[in-house]
Amino acid sequence: MLKRLHISAAEVALVAALVLECIYFSVAAPSFATWGNIFEIVRFSVELGLLVIALTPILITGGIDLSVGSAIGMTAVLFGTMWHDGHLPIAACVGLSLLLGLAAGGLNALLIAGLRLPPLIVTLGTFSLYRGIAEGITHGAVSFTGYSAGFLHLGQGYFWKLIPVQLPILIVVLAAYAVLLHKSVIGRSIYAIGFNAEGARYAGIPVRKRLALLYVLSGVIASLAAIIYVAHLGLAKSDLGTGYELQAITAVVVGGVSVFGGRGTLLGSMLGLFFLSVLQNGMHLMALPSELTGVLIGVLLLAIVAVDRLRSTGAFGVTAGGVSLWKRPAFAGAVLIAVGVLGTLLFQAAGHRNGAAAAGHRLTIAVMPKAKGDPYFISARAGAEEAAKELGVDLIWDGPTSLDASQQNELVENWITRGVDAIVVAVENKGSISTVLRKARAHGIAVLTWDADAELNARDYFLNQATPVGIANALTDEGARLLPNGGQFAIVTGALSAENQNEWIADIKKRVASDHPNLQLATIQPSDDDRDKAFNQTQVILKAYPQVKLVVAISAPAVPGAAEAVAQAGRADVKVIGLSLPSICRTYLHDGSVQTIFLWNTQDLGYLTVYAGALKAEKKIPAGAKNVHVGRLGNLEISGSEIILGKPLLIDKNNVDSLHF
Amino acid sequence: MKAYARELAVAATILLVLALLATTTHGFFTVDNLSDLFLANVPVLIVSLGMTLIILTGQIDISVGSVFAVCSIVTGVAARAGLPVLVAMLIASVVGALLGSFNGALVAWMRMPSIVVTLASMVAIRDGLRWQTQGAWVGDLPGSFQRFGLSQTIYTVLMLVIAALLVVVFIVGLRYFRGGRNIFATGSNEAAARILGIDTNRVLFSVFAITGLLTGFSAALNAVRFNQIPSNSGIGLELKTIAAVAVGGATITGGSGTIAGTVLGVVLLGIIGPALTFLGVSAYWERAIQGLIILAAVSVNVLSHYRRRQVSHA
Amino acid sequence: MQNVSSNSAPPLAIAAKSLTKSYAGVRALRSGSLELLPGEVHALIGENGAGKSTLTKIITGAIQPDSGELEIFGQRITENDPNRSRSLGVAAIYQQPAIFPHLTVAENICMPLEREKSSITVDWRSRKQRAKELIQSIGANIDPDRLAGTLSMAEQQVVEIAKAIGAKARILLMDEPTALLSERETEKLFALVKRLRSEGVAIIYISHRLEEILTLADRITVLRDGETIACCNACDVDRAKLIELMVGRSIESVFPKRSVVPGEVAIEVKGLNNPEVGLHDISFSVRKGEIFGLAGLVGSGRTELARTLFGITPVHTTITLHGRKITIGSPAQAIANGLGYLPEDRRQHGVILDMSIASNITLASLNEVAKRGLLDSTLEQSVAEGYRTSLRIKAPATDTVAGALSGGNQQKVALARWLAIKPGIMILDEPTQGVDVGSKSEIHELIVEFAERGMAVILISSELPEVLGMSDRIGIFHNGTIVATLNREEATQQKVMSLAFGHEVEA
Repeated sequence: MLKRLHISAAEVALVAALVLECIYFSVAAPSFATWGNIFEIVRFSVELGLLVIALTPILITGGIDLSVGSAIGMTAVLFGTMWHDGHLPIAACVGLSLLLGLAAGGLNALLIAGLRLPPLIVTLGTFSLYRGIAEGITHGAVSFTGYSAGFLHLGQGYFWKLIPVQLPILIVVLAAYAVLLHKSVIGRSIYAIGFNAEGARYAGIPVRKRLALLYVLSGVIASLAAIIYVAHLGLAKSDLGTGYELQAITAVVVGGVSVFGGRGTLLGSMLGLFFLSVLQNGMHLMALPSELTGVLIGVLLLAIVAVDRLRSTGAFGVTAGGVSLWKRPAFAGAVLIAVGVLGTLLFQAAGHRNGAAAAGHRLTIAVMPKAKGDPYFISARAGAEEAAKELGVDLIWDGPTSLDASQQNELVENWITRGVDAIVVAVENKGSISTVLRKARAHGIAVLTWDADAELNARDYFLNQATPVGIANALTDEGARLLPNGGQFAIVTGALSAENQNEWIADIKKRVASDHPNLQLATIQPSDDDRDKAFNQTQVILKAYPQVKLVVAISAPAVPGAAEAVAQAGRADVKVIGLSLPSICRTYLHDGSVQTIFLWNTQDLGYLTVYAGALKAEKKIPAGAKNVHVGRLGNLEISGSEIILGKPLLIDKNNVDSLHF
Repeated sequence: MKAYARELAVAATILLVLALLATTTHGFFTVDNLSDLFLANVPVLIVSLGMTLIILTGQIDISVGSVFAVCSIVTGVAARAGLPVLVAMLIASVVGALLGSFNGALVAWMRMPSIVVTLASMVAIRDGLRWQTQGAWVGDLPGSFQRFGLSQTIYTVLMLVIAALLVVVFIVGLRYFRGGRNIFATGSNEAAARILGIDTNRVLFSVFAITGLLTGFSAALNAVRFNQIPSNSGIGLELKTIAAVAVGGATITGGSGTIAGTVLGVVLLGIIGPALTFLGVSAYWERAIQGLIILAAVSVNVLSHYRRRQVSHA
Repeated sequence: MQNVSSNSAPPLAIAAKSLTKSYAGVRALRSGSLELLPGEVHALIGENGAGKSTLTKIITGAIQPDSGELEIFGQRITENDPNRSRSLGVAAIYQQPAIFPHLTVAENICMPLEREKSSITVDWRSRKQRAKELIQSIGANIDPDRLAGTLSMAEQQVVEIAKAIGAKARILLMDEPTALLSERETEKLFALVKRLRSEGVAIIYISHRLEEILTLADRITVLRDGETIACCNACDVDRAKLIELMVGRSIESVFPKRSVVPGEVAIEVKGLNNPEVGLHDISFSVRKGEIFGLAGLVGSGRTELARTLFGITPVHTTITLHGRKITIGSPAQAIANGLGYLPEDRRQHGVILDMSIASNITLASLNEVAKRGLLDSTLEQSVAEGYRTSLRIKAPATDTVAGALSGGNQQKVALARWLAIKPGIMILDEPTQGVDVGSKSEIHELIVEFAERGMAVILISSELPEVLGMSDRIGIFHNGTIVATLNREEATQQKVMSLAFGHEVEA
């Protein structure tokens, strides 16, 4: 029966695992089993799903394409440029973007099929190249927004208020690929190439043409994904699609495609994708930390491949290439056991997590940082937890593990589904998150923003710790004070595409031009929020621009990095200022390698997120109020729809020891 | 000479870049700058040595960045607990070796594809570390931690000695020791190596374990340059090292490659970024240029190969 | 060397009794026995799947027997492994040389010789010296610094033998050593084997070429269905007897009789050059219904010609197919023009081992079983089923993977693939190499059938009797070109050989 349907035991096992997973989450996460949530899972899987579809046949030929994520970034940026600066109609932008994808895939195809270079190395090169082009064109900073509602509908709209608009696109592409791979003459030759490329050539199969086709198509599909992604987020930015290649490959491998080539199906890959998407969604709904998903996916990947290897080595004795049928149930069973073990793990983690939840209705306040690993946000969390304890509310603290606007959207969607009482978001990208925040408001959830604001009508209050202009001016003025005679300065930023930092840079440039014309910006270098990279970059800056007398580091880990570089170079004439935390700059402030850092009290800010969220959820902030009482912070001013925390805090060696964050 | 065509090509490119720097910029060829550049690339260099072994056997390890992050934190935690810095470094190296051994065991005895194994451990280890540390840095380290309390100069010389020693050990080990030749044999023709009685599983296991050990060691060496340790170090280290090995001429399918090539690859990729800064090229184009260099390096080899063939048949 | 006292019976080099081995429930060896004397060439023959390779793997320690006894030089072997058997003086030379393509000849030769040494370092100078000496001792000339991957098959074979000699092997196991060698190289090899025998080395010689065995071997052990069924002196048996022992029945005529009147010219090649692969100035033509044999030494250009005609190593020269002038730039183009090519290396190029029989059969003619580019699986099954029946492919079903079949049946699948394109011209490159005797004669019958159906057949074979017995005309290759074409009547073994060696022969 199964044989007639061409469904292998591995796929049956995957289906079983997926079903079990869904049952588990339906029980453990109450709002999981709703149509709305299921289609949301699908919506967030579309871009990745397209890549999974494109990568499946490539892995079946024994190849790999690491450049798809970068191709998304490059296409998105060029799409935005054409729309924004070229004033081309959307249809033309779409067409040209697809052509660009064709060219990106074409370069891979040329090097892999034409010059017969190993795909791993070629696409490792284009992985850097395409991302680099995206960064070069935009200078990391520009993000193109302001698309027409019709275009945004493609990524954000619904059919019958339920089915995401992009789903049909995924289905069409999937169907086309399924026919190509499983029904067509070309598909058969792809499998033949995967098993034995030389043998396929001797059978008259145009091997290089077929490989070229797949890599070209992969580029086109990546650009299609990019367009949908832009419509989905409402913005085009150079860092879109970062890390997607590995996620897609993970899904494909979980779906049973062998990286040695020859084996695997699209059905399996899609099952693999949904297995992972459901896992991620379910964990969010259960308010388990995002990092746990990564750990689980890693373990799962190993378990699946290990079981698969055990099965094939077990069958090895009978026929070299054959598969003995009696081993298959064993395989399926083993996969189920692995899934069971993981489920238990999840269950324990959930128990640990929800242990605090008492009976009766307690408010749930969901707070999202921009990225979880950033020391700045970590110190804010302490304040948030303090407020949660004080008020007796449940706190969900979760966010992307690295800067990722799309993951923020996904989390908000999941929180809406879960039904939290308040959502407090540190917005990574204004344009992309506002739609989903409005949706949250429509569901009666109190929506506040902190650290960076969303669109005005997308939230109830913005918790304003300091405006970008305020920060930039404070920094620039402090710089001018330290260099009374003027001179050159350098900026060490976070990631080149980080929106906050780019806004600060723009405002710093403005302030220099208007108030401090004797200051000169010599260079801007990225640190990728990596202390060591900031250190190395600063060392190079000091040598390449010996005139630089001031380093302005505007990412928390970059300040100690820059300070260490200045200290090790023994350049007492170079000053370092920036935005950072007292805890990681304390020694440098004391030894004089850092003069000043600016920050607000992050702990207070964290405290405010939860406190204000709870007040708003309980409707305890009357409309038109001029101030509000926020626990230990006392009365805070409300200006319009902004709750003002206070001015940026100037931290130097005199006050650093009194600050504990 | 034909055998070293790739090494010569990379060396020529390096010389070209250096010549450009010498004629158009100031300050690149100062002892300070060169020693800074050297120190910045020590971790990449040391891990690349291990990566060369792995690629020689036809395998790959994309988890080194995550292992690096874990070992950095381990060094700090051990030192903060009051252990002597050298002991902390030893512990970090052992942790690295254990993580590498885990990958190696799965690749060698379970015959699991290395790209999948190390993809899984890359994700799991990195996220596991985030989960455990919640992104917190390790600070409050003892005063003797930074550079073992040595001066800048002595530390640099020490690093130079360690790096040179390691490179020499690897060159000699690969060329003149049977263990090294077994790595080549395993990568060149594993079935034949088994017939010879070479325990290829052990070879595969060893190269991953060695790489883990080197990653841990280099993480510790890097950690002691500072007085606090961030929890997110080593991001992208796997790409840097694989690119360096590939640019250095090793065949990704195994069997051929040299340590000299890898060292040159590290040097080329290591000087490109700073060179662009010195030349005043915007940092925003750095990644694109890195990508082009990787592509150019691997293509040139093939193109020159084609030409040679045509010449020989003319 | 060996100290054998005259009053005691000479110790056996190998005494194997009733060895058995099963793989996942399938008996590969039921009762394998072998007695090998020092200083003899002992042939081991049997159809594919008879258990030859299982028996030899047990001797080399690659696998462990399930039961039975094995003694090497009087020593009872219980736990065998490759190192152990090597230390007892067993060396093996396989048909596909186990070389390291990225390493030098010197290292390839010396690495195994150093396995027993306790030293953990490598002395490159002495390696080179040693390799040079060993290569010279066999009368060959290969630069020890060359990478082994750049050697020809024959040169790789030389490296293998040098290895065995270096190891001072007292038991030498040769598995189809001449399969890829030219006649001249084969002669050299035989001389070498005889020399080794005279030095007291015991040689196990596995081959499908019975003529070779009858001239070279002292004694012959025959395996059938995993059992040793006979051990006889070579002088007591003949070819027919051996075949009977191997297959358990007698085969009447080796080459089928045929009577086809050749039709019009199907393929004509004039002045073809392909310097890339060393071909020059090749001219010939083949008629419909004709079998045109290509004889010559390995490396003389026969396979290279086939690959050039088939578009694997294409040239721009035009050839004439059925009266039309065309150039063939790729295998796909060749197929489109009705040209089929059964390649020499069956497992690498002939079939795709991991794919089903049906997929293998239709792989070169996918458009025939497809409508508008989409496969019609019912049609595909019926086409495959048709070939399975007509070619008597022994397999449970057409969705069995090709890798599970015996060599002969794999070769039939490969043939079916080319029949499915309905070729006008078929190039067969060593179609019976490594194929058991039963399948061999079936394949011969098929080839005759092709010709009878009007196909032009180009038959490349290193087995002279096969070329002579099957062909209507024979083109003889020497140094990259066809030096002479002989009719069936005028072709004799001596004439063909001397032409192949480059001697002029009076007409």
